Amino acid sequence: MRRLDSALVPMATLVLILAACGTTQGTPDQSVDGGSPAEGAGTAAGGTVRIGVGGYPDSLNPGNGVLSEAYAIYELVYDTPVSVTSAGDYVPELASDWSVSEDGLSWTMTIVSGATFHDGEPLTAEDVAFSIELYRDTEDFPFLASYGAPFETIEATDETTVTLTTAEPLNTFESYMAFIYVLPQHIWEAEDDAVAFENADMVGSGPFMLAEASQGEFVQLDAYADHWATPPSVDGVIFQTYGNADARVTALTTGEVDAITEFPATAVSALQNAENVNVHIADIAAGGSLRDVFFNITTEEDCPPDGGVCSGHPALKDVAVRQALATAVDKQQIIDVATLGTGSPGLSLVPPGLGEFYASEIGDYAFDVDAANAILDEAGYEDSDGDGVRECLPDQDCETLTFRFHYADDIDTAPREAELLQGMWSEIGVTTEIQGLDPDTLTSICCPTFDYDIMLWGWGSDPDPAFLLGVALCTEIESGFSETGYCNPDYDALYDAQSVEQDPATRVEMIHEMQQILMDDLPYIIPYYQQSIQAWRTDTFTGWLDGDPTLGLEDPSSLTVIRPTE
Amino acid sequence: MSGRGGYLLRKIGWALVTIAVVVIFNFVLFRVLPGDPAKSGLRDPRLNPAAVEALRERFGTDRPLFVDLEGGNLLDSQFTAYLGALSRADLGTSYAFRDQPVSDLIGQAVVNTLWLVLPSQALAILLGSALGLFAAWRRGRPLDVAALTFSLFMWSLPTFFLGIILLVAGANWFGLPTAGRITIAGDFASSWDVIWDVGRHLLLPTLTLTLVLLGEYMLIMRSSVLDVLGEDYILTARAKGLSTYRIIRDHALRNAMLPMVTLIALNLGFTVSGAIQVEAVYSWPGLGALTVDAVGDRDYPVLQGAFLLIALAVVVANLAAELIYGWLDPRVSEG
Repeated sequence: MRRLDSALVPMATLVLILAACGTTQGTPDQSVDGGSPAEGAGTAAGGTVRIGVGGYPDSLNPGNGVLSEAYAIYELVYDTPVSVTSAGDYVPELASDWSVSEDGLSWTMTIVSGATFHDGEPLTAEDVAFSIELYRDTEDFPFLASYGAPFETIEATDETTVTLTTAEPLNTFESYMAFIYVLPQHIWEAEDDAVAFENADMVGSGPFMLAEASQGEFVQLDAYADHWATPPSVDGVIFQTYGNADARVTALTTGEVDAITEFPATAVSALQNAENVNVHIADIAAGGSLRDVFFNITTEEDCPPDGGVCSGHPALKDVAVRQALATAVDKQQIIDVATLGTGSPGLSLVPPGLGEFYASEIGDYAFDVDAANAILDEAGYEDSDGDGVRECLPDQDCETLTFRFHYADDIDTAPREAELLQGMWSEIGVTTEIQGLDPDTLTSICCPTFDYDIMLWGWGSDPDPAFLLGVALCTEIESGFSETGYCNPDYDALYDAQSVEQDPATRVEMIHEMQQILMDDLPYIIPYYQQSIQAWRTDTFTGWLDGDPTLGLEDPSSLTVIRPTE
Repeated sequence: MSGRGGYLLRKIGWALVTIAVVVIFNFVLFRVLPGDPAKSGLRDPRLNPAAVEALRERFGTDRPLFVDLEGGNLLDSQFTAYLGALSRADLGTSYAFRDQPVSDLIGQAVVNTLWLVLPSQALAILLGSALGLFAAWRRGRPLDVAALTFSLFMWSLPTFFLGIILLVAGANWFGLPTAGRITIAGDFASSWDVIWDVGRHLLLPTLTLTLVLLGEYMLIMRSSVLDVLGEDYILTARAKGLSTYRIIRDHALRNAMLPMVTLIALNLGFTVSGAIQVEAVYSWPGLGALTVDAVGDRDYPVLQGAFLLIALAVVVANLAAELIYGWLDPRVSEG
């Protein structure tokens, strides 16, 4: 969700991947992709699952959370009205159904009866309405405030009904409801300052409840046997922080932990050879992260008046140059060399984990050095002095195709990737000057300053594609959300249309069309989509969901179905 | 001013001045870094400008750094707020852990750190000085050569590397735990089980840290004993017919301890800051790990608190060293 990638960032780095909302509903959808419980799963119950993770939740208060480790806990301890399956579908959770009025401005949700909080109090529509309202009204909740933002009125009309109204039609209602962690009103209403509330008891209604948490060390959850839908078979789960990746890997092979949710690609082959360990590499469901290469193509007219430098290399504003650069990139080589095979070839800003929104039909620029050279020859970029670097066109305010090339130095594979790209581009007479920078500095030269030529960075996607596709809007140039200064009114028009389109199939078509426009205009090259790398022991628990795409071992959909190995 | 009282006052005065400088430096240092704490780690369009503003207001980073030239009150700045809170012993609330007071975070981390570092320091000091003493005594003999080689090797070995090697070996060959202070939700029958479990968790990190620290103590001890053994008064003692054991115990050791006291005091001062690398390898939730994370998060309050504490510890340890000096060698405080 933020500009970074998930699996390989160091412990200290904040990472937010609101990867997927848990499917506590335990729907059959979960096993669609072969994610059925492994053979041998019987009726055994009990046991405490130990999961080694890289970080520690930054807050037990859902409103304050930023790290993926925090959201993993919220998913288990709280229920949401709607959840996302690994196939990217929204399915009922606390809301048994929902509907919208004719004009698209008023939504009605039916809340299940029989759900209870961990302290025994019943969960009603009042709690749901209270939670949405709390998120909306607490501006300094960094992320969750936006999930309540579209709703003008929020009302529990009776025990089981919540009605909401919006100013504009909302076609992504479900994606908002998937992140509303329902809080107990009887506890939270007493808090004047929701941000300062530590929420140390973490009373929720989810399938697990907080037993103990120790800052920087571990979070221990017990099963909530009275959960209304999916009481877990295990007794509990412990997330223990292993800041060091080698320690995490060793802990799995020695049996100190039952599963680990992230580790370096370099450990994959060792773990594949370890006894009683299963390694699972898959696309990330309902989200996922991607590596991107992007160009500063901000024009003078579009340059933000407030602090815009817009020093992008003139040749990069020529789409032919960008096409040549894209055609010269061997994506598979980057995946094999830099990620050791733990990525899938990139295409657009919408990763495959987003299901039908992923435009698999659009054609990529096939890797072909000769074709790339031909594009540049044809466009008139010649290497007349024979120094191996092509010169700019006469009407461009530049000497040669020599580009500044920055990468984010907190991504541990980025230096290698930048070098590979540099080598590939040198084959077509393009020189790059590589420099790694920390994310803060990168942001300060990126946007809305636009003082760079080419950048290598990454994004984590939201379950809804509208989020990431927003980076290419003309209207986001000044806000700094646009990183490229790309502006195509047709694209903006489509974006606006899809955001109010009520027919899902038509909206999917529009999203595909937008991806095609970006492929033609090439503000971005997507070298690869990062895959999730996880591993678990086969001799302790069984039934981990191992489909593709995957929601992750720490997701409720896995943790509520696993059982001890008999 | 002269004499013992003057010496003491002078030293304490300088310690206070140092702390005051640190307090100011702490404030400036972290704010020189680029980046906005309200946005750190939160580059997201849905973090709307209103949310960033609200966070800045909560953090107080919306106010001017030193003097408020535009508002009505000149003194309404981040710096005065920082000094004011500090005078009430209030370290503020963490930016990254928005619901956690800094004093809680640091307090817990320091306790964890001391659990790890104090035993390691004590072991390293004891073993290191003993080894240094024996090596000096047996100068040039095989024991000396072996001890010297071992110490130099350990001293130059990167902590991180040694830690990983010991971790992998200890976990795979002896089944030792690789992280944490105790088995979480462990099934303990008696308090002996608990002690056994904690001991197993402590073993590898303590061993790593002890080995790393030991070399320096050994080398300093050896060379300072050798220095002293070359003095005229040792020759006199020898001429009196004293045994080597008595010469070392009664005449050499006390003088040879001076450089050791410096080293021990300096190292003890830094124990609070923890052994950052050992903490990182063994996922030990200490002050070192907390500080490293806080740098990444632009978490000014945690950084200020941690650095103040570390500085205090170093200043106090140095002061203690000076005072012990005066006692060990009266010439220091008379001069």
